[in-house]
Amino acid sequence: MGVYEVPRKFPTTVIGSYPKLPEAEEALKLRKSSKVDWSRFRDLVHIAIRGVVGDYIEVGVDVVSDGEQSREDMVVFFAENLRGFTLSDWVRVFDNVYFRRPVIVEKVEWVSPVTLEDWLYATSVSQGRPVKAIVTGPYTIVEWSFVARHVDRAELVLEVALALRKEIEKLVEAGARYVQVDEPALSTRPTKEDAQLVGEALRRMLHGLDVKRIVHICYGRLERIFEYVVDYSVDQLALEFKNSNFRLLPYLKEYSYSKELGFGVIDVHVTKVETEREVLDAVEKLMKLGVVGPEKIFLNPDCGLKRLPREIAKAKLRNMVEAAKKAREIW
Amino acid sequence: MVNAEVLLWFSTLGGYPRCRYLRRILRDFEQGSASRWEVEEAVTRASATVIGVQVASGALYVSDGMLDWHDIFRPFVDAWRGVTSGGLLRYFDNNFFYRVPIFVGEPETSYLVLAPRVRKFLPLVEPSKLKVVVPGPVTFTVMAENRTGRTFEELADRVASLLAEEARRAAEAGAELVQIDEPILSDPEVSVDTARLSAELCSKIARSAGVKTSLAIYFGAPEVRVYEAVLDARVDYLSVDIATNPARALELLKLKGFGSHAPVLGLVDSRSILPDDISKLVELAKEVLAGYDGEVGVTTSTWLDLIPYQYSLEKTRLLGLLAELLAQKLRAQLVRRGGT
Repeated sequence: MGVYEVPRKFPTTVIGSYPKLPEAEEALKLRKSSKVDWSRFRDLVHIAIRGVVGDYIEVGVDVVSDGEQSREDMVVFFAENLRGFTLSDWVRVFDNVYFRRPVIVEKVEWVSPVTLEDWLYATSVSQGRPVKAIVTGPYTIVEWSFVARHVDRAELVLEVALALRKEIEKLVEAGARYVQVDEPALSTRPTKEDAQLVGEALRRMLHGLDVKRIVHICYGRLERIFEYVVDYSVDQLALEFKNSNFRLLPYLKEYSYSKELGFGVIDVHVTKVETEREVLDAVEKLMKLGVVGPEKIFLNPDCGLKRLPREIAKAKLRNMVEAAKKAREIW
Repeated sequence: MVNAEVLLWFSTLGGYPRCRYLRRILRDFEQGSASRWEVEEAVTRASATVIGVQVASGALYVSDGMLDWHDIFRPFVDAWRGVTSGGLLRYFDNNFFYRVPIFVGEPETSYLVLAPRVRKFLPLVEPSKLKVVVPGPVTFTVMAENRTGRTFEELADRVASLLAEEARRAAEAGAELVQIDEPILSDPEVSVDTARLSAELCSKIARSAGVKTSLAIYFGAPEVRVYEAVLDARVDYLSVDIATNPARALELLKLKGFGSHAPVLGLVDSRSILPDDISKLVELAKEVLAGYDGEVGVTTSTWLDLIPYQYSLEKTRLLGLLAELLAQKLRAQLVRRGGT
């Protein structure tokens, strides 16, 4: 496996999820059946991950992911693999799409690696490109679960953080260099208390690790708590910008933002493919602020791409990558 | 001894989750293996079940469950010209997404949403009363994209006009309560001006409806100044979510009361699957109602469609138990199933 050199300026990456390939759909169906053939399940997931990583490489994404192909849902997947959860019946996410919302019934503990195998496989087929290790954050896991325990919510978040710390340690031991914690639920309840709780959870999960530490947050009213978020003990904030028409940009300036920025330039909620020009315009908006240089800007979609058709997702990434190449020439 | 002057009734706030059968039919329809007729039949049967559960629990006002609504805006977006559905956005602090309405021109009604539903479901609610729910015009407009060139206020007023017509026609068809949902008023960033606009536009809908009307605020209690502005709304009932943050709601309601409205207390937590502690809720309600001796409604904190189906049925049952116990404690007359 060769070593891939990530561009020094405007490297491109993804947030994590990718449209489920047919093999992944089949694997997930298999897992729901009463007689799971785990060997067949793994084979199917590997085919799907290989396909996803192949798409990333084809369009030129620099830092890739496993596409979260074996994850039915970002919270359910962890609930199924950590101790302390059961799954409820189906709850609607949108339209006629549902997820089995987890129920926290007892102490949450790490038992065995959750994401490691998929990460290792993605790394083996990524032709040297770094693969982000991605875990759903403890706040989001708690918020998007039902809690059937009489326990203080903040304590519960920190308990889940401890369990996830063990998962992250395994990933780092295996060689992960980019570790991303997804906390999309934070922006839905943007209070000082919750923002500080997430900060503490992140500190406990990531302290002392010699990796690029990333937190991803999207949608909602992040500006209300941005003053706390900018102080998180991470190297990079990967944030949604495009969908909210770059509403967050002035706050980068206001809070003298100095970390790396995962800059969301692709709207994952619409099928219209952003042109290279649109992506470049977005980069120009950011560069005009003068808060961070091109070495600290990663270009990525606003969020995971799982709800898009595969060809649309690929086309969006392709234009993002091409725009990044032009941006490197300009800035 | 029961005080016949103090009337107490209950009603779940709004929509129900879909049962397995309906989920499957809708999925089959999307995949082309079920017909529209089969979907309609499944919706009717599933609606009959949730109506039956509400009636059997003793609810005074019963909704059809809105089982075929993908989100609160969608049926109106589909029924109006000048507006389309856009991408998905998170619905308040829930792990639930709605499609953003995109207003591209003057919205006009192509067909009515509520009146045909009322005609269809009215025979099933006997002896309870049928209520209909409309999205609040301010919530609708704030959560939409306005590409019309009109101001926010102008568009909200136009939306209110269309909803007022929906309310009027629904009432003519037999609906006895029109509930106007303004969850945006619980948002801490909502301005007093926006709240005033909401009060004015909800009053417009209420005037048009000509039957009892309720303004429902949920996903938390509003800020004090917003609530003060909302008290000007000329609706019969004011429904406030207490379960999401009981301490804050209690403080607000003790401070500001209910104005000229009969309060509807959102006591049963419809976003949790834990069974509510009915005794505690009774004490909370008594505290909220201290010094008040008029009509009272009891409801869920929000719609029941954010929890699994079986829990929504259980919460309906709990609401009925709560109302019964509260009526005893307040020595109020429990009004149920369309009569006393």
